Amino acid sequence: MLIIEDNQELARNIRDFLGREGYICESSETVEGATEKLTLFQYDCILLDIGLPDGSGIGLLNLIRSEHKESNVLIISAKNALDDKIIGLEKGADDYITKPFHLAELHARIRAVYRRKNLGGTNIVEFNEISLNTDTFEARVAGKLLDTTPKEFDLLLYFIVNKNRVLSRQAIAAHLWGDYTDNLANFDFVYQHVKNLRRKISNAGGLDYIGTVYGLGYKFNSHQDG
Amino acid sequence: MKLTTKFTLWYFAIMLVVLLTGGYIVYYEIQDKISRVEVARHQRLNDLIAEQVRRGGDYSNSPTRKRATVTVIPADSVPRGGSSYYTRGIDWNPEFQVNEYRLMVTSYYQIKGQYYRITTYSFIPSFYQLLPGVVDSFKWILLMLLVLVIVSAGLIPKYILAPFKRTLKVIQSFDVKQHSAIRLPQTRTSEFLELNVFLEKMTEKAREDYQSLKEFTENASHELQTPTAIIRGKLDLLMESDIRDEQAILIAEMQNALERLSRIHSSLTLLTKLENQEYDGSSPVCISVLARGILDSFDELIEMKSLRLDAKIAEKVYVPLNPALADLLLTNLVSNAIRHNEAPAGERGWIMVNLAKEGLMISNSGREPQVPVMELFERFKKGNPGGDSIGIGLAIVRQICDLTGFTIQYQFHDGIHTLAVGFTDRVPASRLLQNLGLPLHHVKTVT
Repeated sequence: MLIIEDNQELARNIRDFLGREGYICESSETVEGATEKLTLFQYDCILLDIGLPDGSGIGLLNLIRSEHKESNVLIISAKNALDDKIIGLEKGADDYITKPFHLAELHARIRAVYRRKNLGGTNIVEFNEISLNTDTFEARVAGKLLDTTPKEFDLLLYFIVNKNRVLSRQAIAAHLWGDYTDNLANFDFVYQHVKNLRRKISNAGGLDYIGTVYGLGYKFNSHQDG
Repeated sequence: MKLTTKFTLWYFAIMLVVLLTGGYIVYYEIQDKISRVEVARHQRLNDLIAEQVRRGGDYSNSPTRKRATVTVIPADSVPRGGSSYYTRGIDWNPEFQVNEYRLMVTSYYQIKGQYYRITTYSFIPSFYQLLPGVVDSFKWILLMLLVLVIVSAGLIPKYILAPFKRTLKVIQSFDVKQHSAIRLPQTRTSEFLELNVFLEKMTEKAREDYQSLKEFTENASHELQTPTAIIRGKLDLLMESDIRDEQAILIAEMQNALERLSRIHSSLTLLTKLENQEYDGSSPVCISVLARGILDSFDELIEMKSLRLDAKIAEKVYVPLNPALADLLLTNLVSNAIRHNEAPAGERGWIMVNLAKEGLMISNSGREPQVPVMELFERFKKGNPGGDSIGIGLAIVRQICDLTGFTIQYQFHDGIHTLAVGFTDRVPASRLLQNLGLPLHHVKTVT
């Protein structure tokens, strides 16, 4: 994975977080450096910041699209400008994320993009007895169909993608309701959703993977004893 | 009033003054001229008679003597100085048996040592008889001028004001967001030229100011979002390290504050963008479909708060609004109604959405706000100071309404909050509040 981001601290955050997931990350702070790396190596996924010190990331998109047809490109931008978004997606970026984002959100987006492009049709995310079909939005526990609402499905997918990570209530709310969660007392709703989801999974005979982390939020534990 | 109409009216006023004075002058000139001509004629006649007297002989039947009187006078009754004078006035005309205006010229002569007074007269048209003629001719002149002025008022300004109209057209379509300077038409009229130069300068300045403001907003946005993103990332990472419970609480509190910061910032940036009118595109958007979609997306939240939703959405309501803004408007209104929904103990909260061609009304049960309701549209004003919200949602709603020309009203009455948005000028929000008033049964519902 190549992280093209001029802010070193932010790049390090991303590298640290994704590194723990087992991604091999390289980063570049300039258009020039990125161009060099792109001509030398192949990347599965490219995170591209639009505002770089020596030029716009949009220009790099052209290079990426001509040389690296297989790479997934995710644009990171501080400008929540619609223009950037539209141009970026038109020029062949796969998704767009606006600063400030939660790292778990970035991870979920990367995985979603990767799923869309690389698994070719079989959009099934599996974890132990749980399997999620991201096309039909069907969740199954040990083959049994779960009656989940779209938000619950989304939440479960988010948990599984970011398993063994502490997910703050803020991150979950931002994931479920997007940028304009402003007007919602969303933490109560997060609690409700998590509660309902846990109940539905255990009713279907699944293990209770989702744990509460004191004060912070929730965590999907893959190492469950039972 | 149109410029041409104004000019025409002024022309009329000036013309009237000029014609009246002109008429007066003409009248007196004619009167004067006639008198002079007559006097000259009679003087010549008097001279002729004097000549006849000098020659001697009987001329009493001569046509020259028809209206002449020749009198021998003593030398001392000859007036000193002038040898001739004239009088005029109304007198009896025996030929026509009518009183007429008479001009009489009296001349004095010294012939062969004797003094003669010769008087001749004639009847001339009275000045009062002239007057109607003068008035009549001026009436025709006035009429002709009127017709000409009206016709030219219709035609000439079209030609003279053409460059002005073209300038106006360019200015009306001017948009501070446009990338190129405006191009105004060439003109030889110096006033219009001046105006064009001024407009070109001013619009250029407006464009530059807008650009720099936009750049500032974008830079501020960029510069603030990056550090916020860093802090958020660090906290995400910190959360996963081995921490004690007290530390977890501290991190959670930081997360909360950060969330607020980021929300305030993005909302303010959005407001600035709205103020700068960066969202254009006012092709009609079907708000009915949008409203249904948004209500669907809030379905779960509504259910979780066990609210009752009563939506009456008319089909195919189109409003001229940027789709992103329409979405923002509805989302803010609906989420506001959900968030601040509070029913009295033992009752179930409810939301009523009513979308019609004229406008949108959203009502919900709720507690009495602690500030006057219309103040809730101001930034950072909250009905409930202790709440989680940052108090900017309604400011955004109002900004969108102002931008689109919608009217908006907020009313609190008897435990019911009602927000009305009027889509057209004809039916303002205040009318909506009166006409589409709430059916009372909603208030009394008990679970």
